[in-house]
Amino acid sequence: MPEILVQYEAEIWGAIGETFVMVGVSIFAAVLIGLPVGTLLFLCRKGQMIENKFVFSTLNLFVNIIRSFPFLLLVVFLIPFTRFIIGTAIGTAAATIPLSIIAIAHYSRLVEQSLLDVPRGVMEAAISMGASVKEVIFKFLYVEARSGLVLGLTTSIISFISYSTIMGVVGGGGIGDFAIRYGYQQFKTDLMIYMIIIMVILVQLIQFTGTTVSRMIDKR
Amino acid sequence: MIKLHQVSKNFSQFQAIKSVSLVINKGEIHGIIGASGAGKSTLLRLMNLLESPDDGEVEVNDQKLTSLSSIDLRQARKSIGMIFQHFNLVANKTVFENVAVSLELANYPKKERRNRVMECLQFVGLETFMEKYPSQLSGGEKQRVAIARALANNPQVLLCDEPTSSLDPNTTAEILGVLENVNKSLGVTIVIVSHEMEVIKSICNRVTVMTDGEIYEEVSIEPKGIQDIDDSPKRFVEQLTKDGEMHHA
Ligand SMILES: Nc1ncnc2c1ncn2[C@@H]1O[C@H](COP(=O)(O)OP(=O)(O)O)[C@@H](O)[C@H]1O
Ligand SMILES: [Mg+2]
Repeated sequence: MPEILVQYEAEIWGAIGETFVMVGVSIFAAVLIGLPVGTLLFLCRKGQMIENKFVFSTLNLFVNIIRSFPFLLLVVFLIPFTRFIIGTAIGTAAATIPLSIIAIAHYSRLVEQSLLDVPRGVMEAAISMGASVKEVIFKFLYVEARSGLVLGLTTSIISFISYSTIMGVVGGGGIGDFAIRYGYQQFKTDLMIYMIIIMVILVQLIQFTGTTVSRMIDKR
Repeated sequence: MIKLHQVSKNFSQFQAIKSVSLVINKGEIHGIIGASGAGKSTLLRLMNLLESPDDGEVEVNDQKLTSLSSIDLRQARKSIGMIFQHFNLVANKTVFENVAVSLELANYPKKERRNRVMECLQFVGLETFMEKYPSQLSGGEKQRVAIARALANNPQVLLCDEPTSSLDPNTTAEILGVLENVNKSLGVTIVIVSHEMEVIKSICNRVTVMTDGEIYEEVSIEPKGIQDIDDSPKRFVEQLTKDGEMHHA
């Protein structure tokens, strides 16, 4: 192993750990909240099962606003909110708040898109069989859209990694922040390049896993 | 069995169904025919409230669907089967799962589900296709699965929206045979929407002719039976040259 990596081994592992925490919490938020929000966006649309203009417009506006912020500005803008939730606006835990918010907005849009790809007829068949809204969602929509949902999550996770590199500004740490502080600011270019390599490998792994899983579960 | 009483349906300004009244008796194979856009599908979809009427009443199996709560409507739909032109199977479920889901929705006893699915698949002649996915089936096979799925909960009525319109003549005859069997041996009342005269004439005993969202006329007919389709090359050549002179190369 290159000497410089040995020298900074502890810090590098620490940075990787911080990235995992930030991205992990983002994924959690995306699935736990982004998935239902995306599903609501789909179902509340005009002509859909629980058409509801108010809910649709509200969620749609929320998602659009979050996504139109330059991410750095969103982080700064959310500082009071973060402080309210976590108790501080600085550190890895605090960094998970803006990341989760963008994760929800990001993934819910992709969920909505995936659900729009489900043939309308499949939902009609479900309704004609007497399925409730909940049954339509879980026994038909998610089954039919599952490969799209997985691919969407893969795309989202890769974006979360990218977003997490900015979190150095609020002391969030992570690989990206490490690369900038040590590699760029202290002129250790080789260290920066190694960090970039780690990120590339990480992204490749995630994309490969996502693509493989989504292909495996796609029987269409 | 099915009663529509002065039913109207509008799509924004457009009147798709204009105060239509229609009675379909138990045991009938009832055809609905008309030009494209006449309102056939809309009329059929009113029979299980897939489209809710703007006016009028819909009664099926002695239940007034238009005055049921949404829970009771869902219950009522379980005894109204429906099949579609494009089959509408769940592509990510196997043939078995596609039929089983219909039983799940009806809370059919878990232990008996497997047997019931097999029974239904046997009825349509697909018991060996259990583990296949819809993408591995031909159009005719997909429609058979859809029929099995629609029959799983022993419906009184089967609504068919252009059930053979994306199938070739041979497969059309096959599916019509299955539908006839559903009517004769299970006593299910069938409503078939089609724009193809041959389909309607072969198995229906009563036909509603529609135009512009209204009933033009109701006719009782003697079904003339499902025609055997001869698709031998010899027959094709005969048909091609029937009216003219032969021009052999
Ligand atoms: N969901 C809908 N929104 C708007 N117009 C519709 C809708 N469904 C049907 N229509 C219109 O209602 C008319 C009747 O449609 P349909 O019942 O599908 O006719 P058919 O099945 O006889 O071809 C058509 O003019 C069609 O464009
Ligand atoms: Mg139609």
